[in-house]
Amino acid sequence: MSGAGPTPRLPRVVRPYVLTGGRTKPAGPVLALESTVHATSSPPIHTVPATPENTRILELSVDPVSIAELAGRLTLPVGVVRVLVDDLTTVGAVTVAEPIPAAATDVGLLERLLDGIRAL
Amino acid sequence: MASVLFDRPPRAATPTTMKMVVAGGFAVGKTTFIGSISEIEPLRTEAEMTVESVGIDHPGPVAGAKHGTTVAMDFGRITIDRDMVLYLFGTPGQDRFWFLWDELVRGAVGAVVLVDTRRLPDCFAAVDYFEHLGVPFVVAVNLFDGVATHHPRQVREALSVPANVPVVLCDARRHTHVQETLVLLVEAALRRLSGAA
Repeated sequence: MSGAGPTPRLPRVVRPYVLTGGRTKPAGPVLALESTVHATSSPPIHTVPATPENTRILELSVDPVSIAELAGRLTLPVGVVRVLVDDLTTVGAVTVAEPIPAAATDVGLLERLLDGIRAL
Repeated sequence: MASVLFDRPPRAATPTTMKMVVAGGFAVGKTTFIGSISEIEPLRTEAEMTVESVGIDHPGPVAGAKHGTTVAMDFGRITIDRDMVLYLFGTPGQDRFWFLWDELVRGAVGAVVLVDTRRLPDCFAAVDYFEHLGVPFVVAVNLFDGVATHHPRQVREALSVPANVPVVLCDARRHTHVQETLVLLVEAALRRLSGAA
Protein backbone atom coordinates (compact mmCIF):
# COMPACT_ATOMS: atom_id res chain seq x y z
CA MET A 1 0.00 0.00 0.00
CA SER A 2 1.36 3.40 -0.85
CA GLY A 3 1.55 6.22 1.63
CA ALA A 4 -0.46 8.46 -0.64
CA GLY A 5 -4.00 9.52 0.12
CA PRO A 6 -5.86 6.36 0.98
CA THR A 7 -9.35 7.76 0.70
CA PRO A 8 -10.78 8.57 -2.68
CA ARG A 9 -12.24 12.01 -2.45
CA LEU A 10 -15.52 13.18 -3.80
CA PRO A 11 -15.51 16.71 -5.10
CA ARG A 12 -16.74 19.01 -2.41
CA VAL A 13 -19.33 21.41 -3.71
CA VAL A 14 -19.77 23.55 -0.63
CA ARG A 15 -17.26 24.83 1.82
CA PRO A 16 -17.33 22.47 4.79
CA TYR A 17 -18.46 24.92 7.45
CA VAL A 18 -21.45 25.92 5.37
CA LEU A 19 -22.81 22.56 6.52
CA THR A 20 -22.75 23.78 10.09
CA GLY A 21 -24.18 27.20 9.41
CA GLY A 22 -20.74 28.62 9.99
CA ARG A 23 -20.35 27.11 13.45
CA THR A 24 -16.86 25.83 14.08
CA LYS A 25 -17.41 24.54 17.59
CA PRO A 26 -20.10 22.30 19.03
CA ALA A 27 -22.31 23.57 21.82
CA GLY A 28 -21.32 20.54 23.87
CA PRO A 29 -17.84 19.31 24.77
CA VAL A 30 -15.26 18.91 22.01
CA LEU A 31 -15.23 15.21 21.35
CA ALA A 32 -12.05 13.18 21.19
CA LEU A 33 -11.17 11.72 17.80
CA GLU A 34 -11.77 8.23 19.10
CA SER A 35 -15.10 9.05 20.76
CA THR A 36 -17.70 6.55 19.67
CA VAL A 37 -20.86 7.68 17.92
CA HIS A 38 -23.80 5.33 17.96
CA ALA A 39 -27.22 5.85 16.40
CA THR A 40 -29.99 5.44 18.92
CA SER A 41 -32.21 2.41 18.64
CA SER A 42 -35.73 2.27 17.31
CA PRO A 43 -38.35 3.56 17.50
CA PRO A 44 -36.96 6.81 16.19
CA ILE A 45 -38.79 9.73 17.66
CA HIS A 46 -36.48 12.47 16.63
CA THR A 47 -36.60 14.77 13.68
CA VAL A 48 -33.36 15.25 11.90
CA PRO A 49 -32.78 17.55 8.94
CA ALA A 50 -32.37 15.18 6.02
CA THR A 51 -29.08 16.50 4.77
CA PRO A 52 -26.82 14.05 2.97
CA GLU A 53 -24.31 14.44 5.79
CA ASN A 54 -26.80 13.62 8.55
CA THR A 55 -28.13 10.69 6.57
CA ARG A 56 -24.63 9.35 6.11
CA ILE A 57 -23.68 9.83 9.76
CA LEU A 58 -26.81 7.95 10.85
CA GLU A 59 -26.09 5.14 8.40
CA LEU A 60 -22.47 4.85 9.47
CA SER A 61 -23.27 4.92 13.17
CA VAL A 62 -25.77 2.06 13.14
CA ASP A 63 -22.75 0.22 14.48
CA PRO A 64 -20.55 2.25 16.81
CA VAL A 65 -18.11 4.40 14.87
CA SER A 66 -15.45 6.91 15.88
CA ILE A 67 -15.51 10.63 15.18
CA ALA A 68 -12.29 10.21 13.20
CA GLU A 69 -13.80 7.51 11.05
CA LEU A 70 -16.91 9.55 10.36
CA ALA A 71 -14.73 12.45 9.27
CA GLY A 72 -12.67 10.17 7.06
CA ARG A 73 -15.68 8.54 5.44
CA LEU A 74 -17.54 11.79 4.90
CA THR A 75 -14.31 13.47 3.77
CA LEU A 76 -15.13 16.35 6.06
CA PRO A 77 -12.86 18.05 8.57
CA VAL A 78 -13.11 16.70 12.10
CA GLY A 79 -14.37 20.07 13.30
CA VAL A 80 -17.40 19.93 11.03
CA VAL A 81 -18.23 16.38 12.06
CA ARG A 82 -18.02 17.35 15.72
CA VAL A 83 -20.64 20.04 15.21
CA LEU A 84 -22.94 17.79 13.18
CA VAL A 85 -22.67 14.98 15.73
CA ASP A 86 -23.33 17.40 18.55
CA ASP A 87 -26.53 18.48 16.79
CA LEU A 88 -27.57 14.86 16.31
CA THR A 89 -26.87 14.19 19.98
CA THR A 90 -29.03 17.12 21.00
CA VAL A 91 -32.06 15.72 19.16
CA GLY A 92 -31.38 12.24 20.46
CA ALA A 93 -30.51 10.69 17.12
CA VAL A 94 -27.15 9.45 18.33
CA THR A 95 -25.35 8.94 21.58
CA VAL A 96 -21.67 9.55 22.05
CA ALA A 97 -19.36 7.63 24.33
CA GLU A 98 -16.14 9.39 25.23
CA PRO A 99 -13.08 7.19 25.73
CA ILE A 100 -12.43 5.98 29.26
CA PRO A 101 -9.94 8.56 30.56
CA ALA A 102 -7.74 6.06 32.37
CA ALA A 103 -7.99 3.24 29.83
CA ALA A 104 -4.32 3.56 28.91
CA THR A 105 -3.27 2.95 32.51
CA ASP A 106 -5.75 0.19 33.31
CA VAL A 107 -3.83 -3.07 33.66
CA GLY A 108 -6.87 -5.20 32.93
CA LEU A 109 -7.66 -3.34 29.72
CA LEU A 110 -4.02 -3.37 28.62
CA GLU A 111 -3.80 -7.12 29.15
CA ARG A 112 -6.93 -7.62 27.09
CA LEU A 113 -5.42 -5.40 24.41
CA LEU A 114 -2.20 -7.43 24.49
CA ASP A 115 -4.06 -10.72 24.13
CA GLY A 116 -6.09 -9.28 21.29
CA ILE A 117 -3.08 -8.03 19.36
CA ARG A 118 -1.29 -11.34 19.79
CA ALA A 119 -4.33 -13.11 18.37
CA LEU A 120 -4.55 -10.96 15.24
CA MET B 1 -38.21 19.99 6.57
CA ALA B 2 -37.96 16.37 5.57
CA SER B 3 -36.44 14.05 8.10
CA VAL B 4 -34.63 10.76 8.04
CA LEU B 5 -35.97 7.88 10.05
CA PHE B 6 -34.25 4.59 10.50
CA ASP B 7 -35.69 1.32 11.64
CA ARG B 8 -32.91 -0.59 13.29
CA PRO B 9 -32.19 -3.82 15.02
CA PRO B 10 -31.23 -3.68 18.70
CA ARG B 11 -27.99 -1.85 19.27
CA ALA B 12 -24.69 -3.49 19.87
CA ALA B 13 -22.83 -2.43 22.99
CA THR B 14 -20.52 0.52 22.63
CA PRO B 15 -16.96 -0.80 22.70
CA THR B 16 -14.11 0.43 24.83
CA THR B 17 -11.72 2.38 22.63
CA MET B 18 -7.96 2.23 22.96
CA LYS B 19 -5.57 4.35 21.00
CA MET B 20 -1.96 4.31 19.84
CA VAL B 21 0.00 6.94 17.99
CA VAL B 22 2.34 6.25 15.10
CA ALA B 23 4.90 9.03 14.77
CA GLY B 24 7.99 9.74 12.73
CA GLY B 25 9.22 11.92 9.95
CA PHE B 26 7.57 12.64 6.66
CA ALA B 27 7.21 9.61 4.37
CA VAL B 28 8.76 7.24 6.90
CA GLY B 29 6.02 4.68 6.37
CA LYS B 30 3.41 5.56 9.00
CA THR B 31 0.45 4.92 6.75
CA THR B 32 2.00 1.71 5.46
CA PHE B 33 2.55 0.59 9.06
CA ILE B 34 -1.07 1.34 9.96
CA GLY B 35 -2.36 -0.29 6.79
CA SER B 36 -0.49 -3.52 7.49
CA ILE B 37 -2.62 -4.25 10.52
CA SER B 38 -5.76 -2.13 10.20
CA GLU B 39 -8.98 -3.91 9.28
CA ILE B 40 -10.00 -0.91 7.22
CA GLU B 41 -8.03 0.85 4.53
CA PRO B 42 -6.33 3.70 6.37
CA LEU B 43 -8.61 6.69 6.34
CA ARG B 44 -7.46 10.23 6.03
CA THR B 45 -8.95 12.70 8.43
CA GLU B 46 -8.54 16.42 8.25
CA ALA B 47 -8.36 18.36 11.45
CA GLU B 48 -8.39 22.11 11.47
CA MET B 49 -6.26 24.13 13.74
CA THR B 50 -8.08 26.94 15.39
CA VAL B 51 -6.74 29.93 17.23
CA GLU B 52 -7.58 28.27 20.53
CA SER B 53 -5.57 25.16 19.76
CA VAL B 54 -2.29 26.99 19.46
CA GLY B 55 -0.59 26.72 22.83
CA ILE B 56 1.33 29.67 24.15
CA ASP B 57 4.38 27.45 24.35
CA HIS B 58 4.17 26.58 20.70
CA PRO B 59 7.74 26.07 19.55
CA GLY B 60 7.71 28.15 16.43
CA PRO B 61 5.92 30.46 14.10
CA VAL B 62 3.05 28.92 12.24
CA ALA B 63 2.13 30.69 9.07
CA GLY B 64 -1.56 31.26 8.73
CA ALA B 65 -2.42 29.72 12.08
CA LYS B 66 -4.98 32.34 12.94
CA HIS B 67 -6.90 31.66 9.79
CA GLY B 68 -7.03 27.96 10.35
CA THR B 69 -4.59 25.43 8.99
CA THR B 70 -5.76 22.02 7.93
CA VAL B 71 -3.60 19.07 8.77
CA ALA B 72 -4.19 15.57 7.54
CA MET B 73 -3.57 12.41 9.48
CA ASP B 74 -4.23 8.81 8.62
CA PHE B 75 -5.67 6.28 10.96
CA GLY B 76 -6.73 2.67 11.13
CA ARG B 77 -8.99 0.51 13.24
CA ILE B 78 -8.48 -2.91 14.77
CA THR B 79 -11.21 -4.86 16.53
CA ILE B 80 -9.51 -6.42 19.53
CA ASP B 81 -12.47 -8.35 20.88
CA ARG B 82 -16.21 -7.98 21.04
CA ASP B 83 -15.98 -5.00 23.34
CA MET B 84 -12.70 -3.36 22.48
CA VAL B 85 -11.47 -1.41 19.48
CA LEU B 86 -7.96 -0.10 18.93
CA TYR B 87 -7.31 2.99 16.83
CA LEU B 88 -3.94 3.77 15.32
CA PHE B 89 -3.37 7.43 14.52
CA GLY B 90 -0.51 8.59 12.36
CA THR B 91 0.83 11.97 13.38
CA PRO B 92 0.94 14.65 10.74
CA GLY B 93 4.47 14.56 9.38
CA GLN B 94 5.45 18.11 10.16
CA ASP B 95 6.91 19.06 13.50
CA ARG B 96 5.01 22.31 13.58
CA PHE B 97 1.78 20.52 14.31
CA TRP B 98 2.65 19.70 17.89
CA PHE B 99 -0.66 21.03 19.11
CA LEU B 100 -2.40 18.20 17.34
CA TRP B 101 -0.08 15.67 18.86
CA ASP B 102 -1.25 16.71 22.31
CA GLU B 103 -4.77 15.77 21.39
CA LEU B 104 -3.68 12.55 19.71
CA VAL B 105 -1.52 11.49 22.61
CA ARG B 106 -4.01 12.25 25.35
CA GLY B 107 -5.26 8.91 26.62
CA ALA B 108 -3.05 6.90 24.27
CA VAL B 109 -1.54 3.60 25.36
CA GLY B 110 1.68 4.79 23.82
CA ALA B 111 3.46 5.54 20.61
CA VAL B 112 5.47 3.87 17.89
CA VAL B 113 8.23 6.09 16.56
CA LEU B 114 9.05 4.93 13.06
CA VAL B 115 12.60 5.57 12.00
CA ASP B 116 14.29 5.74 8.63
CA THR B 117 18.00 5.27 9.30
CA ARG B 118 18.83 7.28 6.19
CA ARG B 119 17.11 10.24 7.82
CA LEU B 120 17.58 9.57 11.49
CA PRO B 121 17.25 13.20 12.63
CA ASP B 122 13.67 13.21 11.34
CA CYS B 123 12.61 11.22 14.39
CA PHE B 124 14.44 13.25 17.04
CA ALA B 125 11.47 15.52 17.62
CA ALA B 126 9.12 12.60 18.18
CA VAL B 127 11.50 10.83 20.55
CA ASP B 128 11.96 14.04 22.56
CA TYR B 129 8.26 14.63 22.66
CA PHE B 130 7.26 11.22 24.02
CA GLU B 131 10.18 11.09 26.41
CA HIS B 132 9.27 14.50 27.77
CA LEU B 133 5.63 13.53 28.25
CA GLY B 134 6.52 10.19 29.82
CA VAL B 135 4.44 8.36 27.23
CA PRO B 136 5.49 4.72 26.67
CA PHE B 137 7.00 4.33 23.23
CA VAL B 138 8.80 1.91 20.98
CA VAL B 139 11.34 2.85 18.33
CA ALA B 140 10.71 0.83 15.18
CA VAL B 141 13.38 1.00 12.50
CA ASN B 142 11.56 0.65 9.22
CA LEU B 143 13.26 -1.85 6.94
CA PHE B 144 12.94 -0.20 3.59
CA ASP B 145 13.43 -2.87 0.93
CA GLY B 146 13.29 -5.38 3.77
CA VAL B 147 16.98 -4.91 4.48
CA ALA B 148 18.54 -3.99 7.80
CA THR B 149 21.25 -1.42 7.31
CA HIS B 150 21.76 -0.75 11.00
CA HIS B 151 21.70 -2.86 14.10
CA PRO B 152 19.05 -1.79 16.63
CA ARG B 153 21.86 -1.22 19.12
CA GLN B 154 23.40 1.40 16.82
CA VAL B 155 20.07 3.15 16.52
CA ARG B 156 19.59 3.03 20.28
CA GLU B 157 22.99 4.63 20.79
CA ALA B 158 22.38 7.25 18.13
CA LEU B 159 19.06 8.20 19.70
CA SER B 160 20.27 7.64 23.26
CA VAL B 161 16.92 6.30 24.31
CA PRO B 162 16.69 4.74 27.77
CA ALA B 163 16.92 0.99 28.25
CA ASN B 164 13.19 0.69 28.95
CA VAL B 165 12.38 1.83 25.41
CA PRO B 166 12.39 -1.11 22.99
CA VAL B 167 14.21 -0.58 19.69
CA VAL B 168 13.22 -3.04 16.99
CA LEU B 169 13.62 -3.63 13.30
CA CYS B 170 10.27 -3.60 11.57
CA ASP B 171 9.22 -3.98 7.97
CA ALA B 172 6.18 -1.72 7.99
CA ARG B 173 4.68 -3.72 5.12
CA ARG B 174 4.58 -6.93 7.12
CA HIS B 175 1.66 -7.71 9.37
CA THR B 176 3.69 -9.87 11.75
CA HIS B 177 6.34 -7.18 12.21
CA VAL B 178 3.76 -4.53 12.92
CA GLN B 179 1.90 -6.86 15.24
CA GLU B 180 5.08 -7.64 17.19
CA THR B 181 5.88 -3.93 17.46
CA LEU B 182 2.45 -3.24 18.96
CA VAL B 183 2.90 -6.15 21.37
CA LEU B 184 6.19 -4.62 22.54
CA LEU B 185 4.49 -1.29 23.03
CA VAL B 186 1.71 -2.69 25.21
CA GLU B 187 4.27 -4.70 27.18
CA ALA B 188 6.29 -1.51 27.70
CA ALA B 189 3.15 0.26 28.92
CA LEU B 190 2.42 -2.59 31.33
CA ARG B 191 6.00 -2.62 32.64
CA ARG B 192 5.76 1.06 33.31
CA LEU B 193 2.57 0.57 35.31
CA SER B 194 4.07 -2.21 37.36
CA GLY B 195 7.01 0.03 38.14
CA ALA B 196 9.43 -2.39 36.53
CA ALA B 197 10.58 0.15 34.00
